[in-house]
Amino acid sequence: MAEVSLTCKRTVISTKPVQPGKFCPLSALDRLMERNYLHIVFYYQSTVERNPGELTKKLREAVAEMLSAFPIITGRLFKTPEGHWTIKCNDAGMRMVEARAKGSVEKWLQNLDREKELQLVHWEEMFHKPYFWSTFYVKVTEFEEGGIAIGLSCTHLLSDPPCATMLIKAWADMTLGGKMITPPLFHPLPGRRPGNTNTNHEPYVELIDYYKLSIEKPAPVFNTKQVTIILAFDDEMVRRCITRIAPVESSRTPFEALAALFWVVVSKVKGTKGGLTNMSICLDMRNVLGLDRGFFGNCMVYNKVNGDGIEGNELCKAANGIKEVVRKMDADGIMDLIEWLKERNYQDLPWMNGYDLICVNLEAVDSYSAIFEDNARPLRVSYYIEPAVGEGQILIMPPPAGSRNTFSRVVTITLPEDEVNKLLEDALIQEFSPTILMGLNKMHSSTSS
Amino acid sequence: MPQILPNFSSSVKLKYVKLGYQYLVNHILTFFLIPVMVGILVEILRLGPEEMLNIWRSLHFDLVQILCSSFLIIFIATVYFMSKPRSIYLVDYACYKAPPTCRVPFSTFMEHSRLILKDNPKSVDFQMRILERSGLGEETCLPPAIHYIPPTPTMEAARGEAEEVIFSAIDSLMKKTRIKPKDIDILIVNCSLFSPTPSLSAMVVNKYKLRSNIKSYNLSGMGCSAGLISIDLARDLLQVHPNSYALVVSTEIITPNYYQGSERAMLLPNCLFRMGGAAILLSNKRRDRSRAKYRLVHVVRTHKGADDKAYKCVYEQEDPQGKVGINLSKDLMVIAGEALKSNITTIGPLVLPASEQLLFLFTLIGRKIFNPKWKPYIPDFKQAFEHFCIHAGGRAVIDELQKNLQLSAEHVEASRMTLHRFGNTSSSSLWYELGYIEAKGRMKKGDRIWQIAFGSGFKCNSAVWKCNRTIGTPTDGPWQDCIDRYPVHIPEIVKL
Repeated sequence: MAEVSLTCKRTVISTKPVQPGKFCPLSALDRLMERNYLHIVFYYQSTVERNPGELTKKLREAVAEMLSAFPIITGRLFKTPEGHWTIKCNDAGMRMVEARAKGSVEKWLQNLDREKELQLVHWEEMFHKPYFWSTFYVKVTEFEEGGIAIGLSCTHLLSDPPCATMLIKAWADMTLGGKMITPPLFHPLPGRRPGNTNTNHEPYVELIDYYKLSIEKPAPVFNTKQVTIILAFDDEMVRRCITRIAPVESSRTPFEALAALFWVVVSKVKGTKGGLTNMSICLDMRNVLGLDRGFFGNCMVYNKVNGDGIEGNELCKAANGIKEVVRKMDADGIMDLIEWLKERNYQDLPWMNGYDLICVNLEAVDSYSAIFEDNARPLRVSYYIEPAVGEGQILIMPPPAGSRNTFSRVVTITLPEDEVNKLLEDALIQEFSPTILMGLNKMHSSTSS
Repeated sequence: MPQILPNFSSSVKLKYVKLGYQYLVNHILTFFLIPVMVGILVEILRLGPEEMLNIWRSLHFDLVQILCSSFLIIFIATVYFMSKPRSIYLVDYACYKAPPTCRVPFSTFMEHSRLILKDNPKSVDFQMRILERSGLGEETCLPPAIHYIPPTPTMEAARGEAEEVIFSAIDSLMKKTRIKPKDIDILIVNCSLFSPTPSLSAMVVNKYKLRSNIKSYNLSGMGCSAGLISIDLARDLLQVHPNSYALVVSTEIITPNYYQGSERAMLLPNCLFRMGGAAILLSNKRRDRSRAKYRLVHVVRTHKGADDKAYKCVYEQEDPQGKVGINLSKDLMVIAGEALKSNITTIGPLVLPASEQLLFLFTLIGRKIFNPKWKPYIPDFKQAFEHFCIHAGGRAVIDELQKNLQLSAEHVEASRMTLHRFGNTSSSSLWYELGYIEAKGRMKKGDRIWQIAFGSGFKCNSAVWKCNRTIGTPTDGPWQDCIDRYPVHIPEIVKL
């Protein structure tokens, strides 16, 4: 059914020309993510009556203004003599696609699945000659009966989910008020401060080994089709989960609780023997490394959590395992990894999302403050880290509206279809009564989002 | 060192000789009159007042003679004033400034070219070479329909562009001149390649609710020199209709004419033509004498269409795939040079000072009678004009004219900077150049300006204006936000 029809595809240029001869080099963490790409969809209701195309025009003008501050987006990929990717800021612009969809945005959100949602983003695989390939794609879909969806696709080489969200927020600020509240900063990852080295410091070997293995592994096999569902856990339920995993509530975070919960359930669903299934967690290291909120680039680090010997229902042990790894991923550890990556100067491309179950912590991502028009917070924000070829993905995201300090969370789960069915029927999950925001198409969502 | 000094001193001596000669010839009448007046004055002083009265009485004036003489004088004066052509004033003009969202940097242009012409890499390379040497900057604008992948040049989009450009320019002009739409008596719109029905002039009449007895004209197909043709038409109409305002709109609509094929000779206009437009208000009302910016002195039109090669050198046709585009022939510059020579021969006697004309005459006689090998004397037009507005058709055109007319870099600065900032906006480029000179504060009262435009056909048209009042730095206009960055050095080749 052609619900979404394409209006046009164009290139949006920044309003101020870029000074020629500028380059933005990519960091060691950036270059690892070459095989991956992101899709993010923001949904908004209409606040005022507008002619069709009017809001899209306003957004287009704002994005042109915004791009003046992001020369890295309007630039193109270019290989340095050493064989590394860098961005040549040649002012080529960003692709923008405009589309129209039937119905209203609220109705769309009730009957959603992965395929339908991906109609709201536009993506083109990297060209053989990437010098003419836009690294970012924006798709703006106006719903005929009200509402708008903004889809952003970009290569993971340049940005991770928090960074892409920062971009949308900058766009929203520009549309609403004409200026950006957090202007972007382009600088390399911080190095180790010279005077600060602890001479007894042991390099974080486990982290380095994990990356070494990932780089050296062969390409994963793409077999089963994966589906995505989104569950919402409210504040009370998350607190209950935390209490389950630890008597003293304050020592556990919602991420640890939910990650442990899903680790245990997914292992059960997959039928893993001798412990919990292989899982890696992916954490945002911006705070740990002391980076400014406007930092543009990749700053999420993966690490394996050890599930050997943990039995089916031992949530506490699972949570402890996760907490231990989170604790060890401190500034020094990350610096070790970065230095090792720089020294090694590898040319092979890892599939960072391609093997284990990945659990990504996107709690701190500030998606719901991207407000384009007065009093219109996003109805929902969906994230996809592609390609989905590994064992599965769990993304833990902040709740839609309301206060920031609540413990409620939205979880996006991507697994093979039969495993998803079993997961939804699992007793442990049912115990925390999640709301299904996006289920399998056979099931109707019981309550609205 | 020694070999430079003699040249320098000899050239300085030559310069003074030249200056002396020019001063003598150009003010020859003064030089004759002064001795005569001094002679009469000395004679009067010598004769004394009584002698003067005696001479006066001896003339025997009677009433009839006095009356007849005075009637004769009044009659001659009346005939003179009635048959004098009306002065045409340019009250003000406004140029269209495209929004920065329509900007087309080189890299975007090349990227689109690669995506659309993916089967023709040679054509893409050709476009890149043209763009590198074009003299355009990174801020020229194309209409929204051309930003699409692939471009969608529909009629609706073309009308949209026409409305945007023309109405913006006219709104800006009306604000500057405080004129009401009902005051406009004559309307001339020129747009070479887009000619819908109803015409663009009808579109303007409809939008601004102009009077039903307006004299409106729509010129199409006349190329980049149509702007000056419109001015010429307006001038002739203003001779016939007293006490009138004429609104002239010069533009070129890019949307429907973007060549979508891959023939190299036809891809050239894609690289150079950009969005632009201008609206000009002309008047023959006496009260505008004080507020007008310029007065029109001459318009000279030269048409070389009788020659087949000149006629075909800018030719719209279909390529082997059936796509329509404008074919520019390889001898365009030669033909342009000849058309210019023709135009100069006509305009020279009208504007050049007597000194230059005499020199030209002597060299001409000398070449015919004495020795054909003498170099033809190129008159120094820098003495006739303070400012030059050469149509920014392309870098080659400006270079060629600079060489032929022996102009300095400052004289062609307006043309080069307009090409850099706005691209080739066809008939309106002359007005952007004039705007540049005003924005730089170089326009003083009494300055003479020469506007030269070339166009398909092949035509070379010139207009000569005289500045009516010193123009202060404008607070609006297309150059307002970027004039401080200009002039910029434009490299021979921009590496893409």
